[in-house]
Amino acid sequence: MTNSINDLLARHTLIFTIVIVMFSLFITFFSEPYGNGLISTSFVKTLGKTVCLCIIALAMDVVWGYCGILSLGHFAFFGLGGYMIGMWLMYERTAIIVQEAATNELLPLTETELSNAIGNQIFGVVGGYEIPSIWMFADSLGLQLILVIAVPGILAFIFGWLAFRSRVTGVYLSILTQALTLALSLYLFQNDSGLRGNNGLSGLQNIPGIEYLGQEVISIGFFWVSCIFLISIFLLFHSLMKSKFGLIITSIRDNETRVRFLGYNVEIYKLFIFVLTAIISSIAGALYYPQAGIINPAELAPIASIYLAVWVAIGGRGKLYGAIIGAAFVSLFSSWFTGGQAPDIPLGIFTIEWVNWWTVLLGFGFVIITIFSENGIIGFLRNIFVKEK
Amino acid sequence: MNTLLKVEKISVSFDGFKAINSLSYSIGKNELKAIIGPNGAGKTTFMDIITGQTKPDEGKVLFGERSVWLESDQKYQVVWDENLLMKSESQIALLGIGRKFQRPTVFELKTVFENLFISMKKNRSPFSVLFQKLNRDEKNLIEKILGEISLKNEQDRIAGELSHGQKQWLEIGMLLTQEPKLLLIDEPAAGMTSNERRQTVEILKKLSADKSVIVVEHDMEFVKDLECEVTVLHEGSILSEGSIEHVSSNNEVIEVYLGR
Repeated sequence: MTNSINDLLARHTLIFTIVIVMFSLFITFFSEPYGNGLISTSFVKTLGKTVCLCIIALAMDVVWGYCGILSLGHFAFFGLGGYMIGMWLMYERTAIIVQEAATNELLPLTETELSNAIGNQIFGVVGGYEIPSIWMFADSLGLQLILVIAVPGILAFIFGWLAFRSRVTGVYLSILTQALTLALSLYLFQNDSGLRGNNGLSGLQNIPGIEYLGQEVISIGFFWVSCIFLISIFLLFHSLMKSKFGLIITSIRDNETRVRFLGYNVEIYKLFIFVLTAIISSIAGALYYPQAGIINPAELAPIASIYLAVWVAIGGRGKLYGAIIGAAFVSLFSSWFTGGQAPDIPLGIFTIEWVNWWTVLLGFGFVIITIFSENGIIGFLRNIFVKEK
Repeated sequence: MNTLLKVEKISVSFDGFKAINSLSYSIGKNELKAIIGPNGAGKTTFMDIITGQTKPDEGKVLFGERSVWLESDQKYQVVWDENLLMKSESQIALLGIGRKFQRPTVFELKTVFENLFISMKKNRSPFSVLFQKLNRDEKNLIEKILGEISLKNEQDRIAGELSHGQKQWLEIGMLLTQEPKLLLIDEPAAGMTSNERRQTVEILKKLSADKSVIVVEHDMEFVKDLECEVTVLHEGSILSEGSIEHVSSNNEVIEVYLGR
């Protein structure tokens, strides 16, 4: 009995892996550099970004759908990951440009001149040329990659430790996480935050060292890396949630007190999940923003994290593929509607322009789906296809 | 007989209302005791204090008595292993105090077997739990406990589907897999049929063979069947202690409790 269930689950992950790989191959064979160019480079980028959004949706599903912590701040970690990788991308590329420009000079640039020139290029827009101390590792890809993990990890650890230890739960915790992402966003908006204020970091699509490959090749590369990461995270979460650890995590969601009286230190478990998902969100962000090309503090606004919860709710929380379906479905529709491709609907005296009305449609969709199917699209499909006893 | 748990002059008040008033209590190893009292007598608060959910304003809660031979004084001295007031709920549970709540609290979405698997006495740190699998002995233990709580045929069912009485037993079963030294059981007979009650009495008596058990009830008949020492609580302090016959003949008890 239990064996056949395990087989089914194992087949589940296999099916998922095959679907994603087939999808990636399909996209590659219709892309500009490796196929007939039916799929444009910009669409490949959109798909690659969507895959990254699916990854953070997985993290959100684990923290909310499985562990019951409705975090409305996980996009802050996503953004932080983007900033951390963006610092290296921007610094390194600027350094290369500055050095190339200087080859025609008679005297080679001194260390200070070089640093001032780079600083001027990057921070000119916020009126400065000094490189802030938080950029001290920006010349090293390895160190910035470590920061992609360390910065959100430490932030999530401190935040989670304080919140869980004081037994803040439910809606109060959600409000706290909103405050976290809002505070971070407002801080980054300041010019003296050292991260170029509201200008954010830009030109991130140009990857230093491999620019000669061209965007059409780089976009396929990022798309593949994102897909592989999505598969790995799916497998990781799947095996985690299937183990005894997962059993305890869902038990915490269902009855925290009982778990505590069984002798489990509930706070440590929550902290573990919170930090793990924050780190995964951050890595997803570090993959997303080089494809997007630009990051600014508006990306970390509270609404982004709320959208994240909406995706997971629409797709179906408590099921990993539910989160993926929700994120892919809503974010692709969103870019179709807001990208001006959707045909406007003229109603005589009034025309529905989807660019403005998309959020209204999304809101309606959210309400309807949550009313008719508690478990989102997945729950709806399961009701139709799977006969529960 | 060694004392397992000793509560010394604890008091706690909520917004000026004294829920527990200078209460002292103790239970020995492998002893079965019952606490009765009308609503609001402080029974649940008393359990909250022992399990660490509520901290008392004053008093002591000590666990695990031992006698130590003092070389210098040439005599035995009594020492206590643990001061429960310094511990969190999960630490207290790990010391070996299991608690059954008034309303049956099991994991409703999980199977009966999974419920017992989660409560199994094992290392409870997240990193160790990641790799824990059931071995043969543990599987046998769970099967044995399933027999004791008469749920052998229900092990693959979702706990939420069980009857009220079966949930109560499942919760007791979860406490058993935890292998506690002391069991605190809050109103086990609430909402049970008379058949289920009889079975529950049997289960509780069997438990006290190698565990200390405190049963909190407000059903006098059920307590009578347990045939153990009874403590009557009233307004946060002890009104009377002794056999059921002794307490039920006490005039004060009749007045505050039975007489109503």
